[in-house]
Amino acid sequence: MAQLSIRSVSKSYGAVQVLDDVSVEVEEGSFVVLLGPSGCGKSTLLHAVAGLNPIDSGTIVIGDRNVTNLPARDRDVAMVFQSYALYPTMTVAQNIAFPLKMRGLDRRTSDEKVAGVARLLQIEPLMSRLPRELSGGQRQRVAIGRALVRDPRLFLFDEPLSNLDAALRTELRAEIKRLHQSIRRTMVYVTHDQTEALTLADKIVVLKAGKIEQTGTPLSLYDDPDNAFVAGFIGTPRMNFLKATVADDGKALLAGEARVDITHLATRLENGRAVTLGIRPEHLDEKDGVTLSLSVDVTERLGSTSYVHGALASGESVVAERREDQPGFGETITLRFQPTRARVFDGEGSRIR
Amino acid sequence: MSTVATASDPTRHFFQPVIVCLTVASVALTLFVIWISLHDLSLMRAGREKFVGLDNYIRFLGDPRAMAALWRTVLFTTLATVIEIALGLAVVLFLDRNFAMKRLVRTLLLVPIIMTPVVVGLTWRFLFDSATGMANYLLSLVGIAQVDWLGSPRIALFAVLIADIWQWTPFVILLVMAALESAPTDPLNAARVDGAREWQVTWYVLLPMLRRALAIVALIRAIDSIKAFDLFYIMTRGGPALSTETLNYYGYIVAFTNFDISYSLAIAIILTIFTNVALLTMYSVLFPKTGDR
Ligand SMILES: Nc1ncnc2c1ncn2[C@@H]1O[C@H](COP(=O)(O)OP(=O)(O)OP(=O)(O)O)[C@@H](O)[C@H]1O
Ligand SMILES: [Mg+2]
Repeated sequence: MAQLSIRSVSKSYGAVQVLDDVSVEVEEGSFVVLLGPSGCGKSTLLHAVAGLNPIDSGTIVIGDRNVTNLPARDRDVAMVFQSYALYPTMTVAQNIAFPLKMRGLDRRTSDEKVAGVARLLQIEPLMSRLPRELSGGQRQRVAIGRALVRDPRLFLFDEPLSNLDAALRTELRAEIKRLHQSIRRTMVYVTHDQTEALTLADKIVVLKAGKIEQTGTPLSLYDDPDNAFVAGFIGTPRMNFLKATVADDGKALLAGEARVDITHLATRLENGRAVTLGIRPEHLDEKDGVTLSLSVDVTERLGSTSYVHGALASGESVVAERREDQPGFGETITLRFQPTRARVFDGEGSRIR
Repeated sequence: MSTVATASDPTRHFFQPVIVCLTVASVALTLFVIWISLHDLSLMRAGREKFVGLDNYIRFLGDPRAMAALWRTVLFTTLATVIEIALGLAVVLFLDRNFAMKRLVRTLLLVPIIMTPVVVGLTWRFLFDSATGMANYLLSLVGIAQVDWLGSPRIALFAVLIADIWQWTPFVILLVMAALESAPTDPLNAARVDGAREWQVTWYVLLPMLRRALAIVALIRAIDSIKAFDLFYIMTRGGPALSTETLNYYGYIVAFTNFDISYSLAIAIILTIFTNVALLTMYSVLFPKTGDR
């Protein structure tokens, strides 16, 4: 049974449709990430689930209860806000104990639970401080602690790591992952950072302008994107998109001077049709396959590997991974890829399989 | 103290002379006032004053009219401050964060504040007129007997209080509204998710966040109420039967009716000391040293 069902939820602010017929199923104990660019409606959806934002239409079911018209306090969810939203006038201990106090738990049990959470998150020395006396990462832990202390049906995280520096972000990301593995509670996590999504999620929901573009496991989104938006959004550096035309025999694409065999596609494409070819940078460094020649502009060296930025003869810019050598500016190198690695998209950006 | 100017900061040439002038002026004035209050200067006996030490202060302690005025000042200040803060806060919370005619309401709120006290006093005097006033007319509509608002010693102080509340509650509303608008809303939502009812959100999260603003508004209103003069002068002139005579007003009477300048200044100094002690106590209660918990 799904722990959270979001069914055909729509919401608009005036003329702006912020959520457009969004449906998501979240399994018991799973970790689902809502991923999308800034302003696509992720927070709006999360707030709707928490009961902080009324929705125009649709149904939200948590566990076996239809909570669509219940106020936030009756939904039994815990939320970590993007801004942390700690109570500024309460100490760390009071912040974490607040949800228990609101549920009328007695002092002794409450104190024990707060101490347990503090131990888990390693914030014991901070318990008597005020939020403004904490660093960003410490506030983050307190906000997570306030959610964890309660054992709710559902955890909601709204971009909890977006304000942190890279090192702390990686560390807390691992901590959240560990946490989920140890307590096995249902979590919905919002982010616009695809690395976070790929590393944390059991299932990713990609949103764009209030619509779901694709739902799937991290691997399936990476390997088998439904459209050019998902293909471009997932993976760093971004997937390369090349203009191509279907050749006379209908069995190959012509991209620049290259001829790409597409007999593996189930769909038969008519001659002369314009399509887009998507190839990931990491698939352009093969021993054999279709060749493209790239004139190099910049090489980013990352230690174990490098990314080469350059342009094809057609003028299209391409990023390619390079494991063996590190070509410099002005050099021309040969890229090779397997035709089966290429993803084909039509004029609207939909995938052709 | 993040803006302490270092010795090399050239802007000190501008602000230091100003500070020096202001300090010298206020210290000199205070000393002069204390000096006079230690004499028996009276315009009735001009040129024959002599040093009398603390006589004026001792006289104050034994002056029942002064003591009654002091008590009245305390009563008026406490009531005015508490009621204005409570009422203003209630209105702000009731008006919610966003409502349709907010700008209009805000403009209307400014009207009592910018009205001169003379006009306010006169208006309320007409309203409270026992024979022709609107207040009694309205009471008669709901079947309550006539009240002699400004003529009864037991009621007159409260009539002035009502006028003061009418004039200054909007000030509280404006400041608290501004504080509310700049307060973050996420903690309120967090409290709702954490299971708080609306009154609990207000009590445990919102009000503590507004505490500083409320404390400052309360201080301003308390200082103003202690010094209140104009409404009393226009509406009651301290009467009837001295029932609305505050210490400030009594000092004025002593100086300009009895021409007893030294005693009047002694009263002024006592009022100042009293105000300072009261406000410092209030301040240390509202802002404990350990931070703004
Ligand atoms: N109160 C509001 N009134 C009008 N429009 C709003 C309101 N809140 C959000 N929006 C609009 O709704 C859209 C979605 O907002 P939302 O906050 O859900 O985005 P988001 O995906 O969380 O973005 P981010 O990653 O930047 O946090 C945005 O275009 C925003 O401008
Ligand atoms: Mg957001």
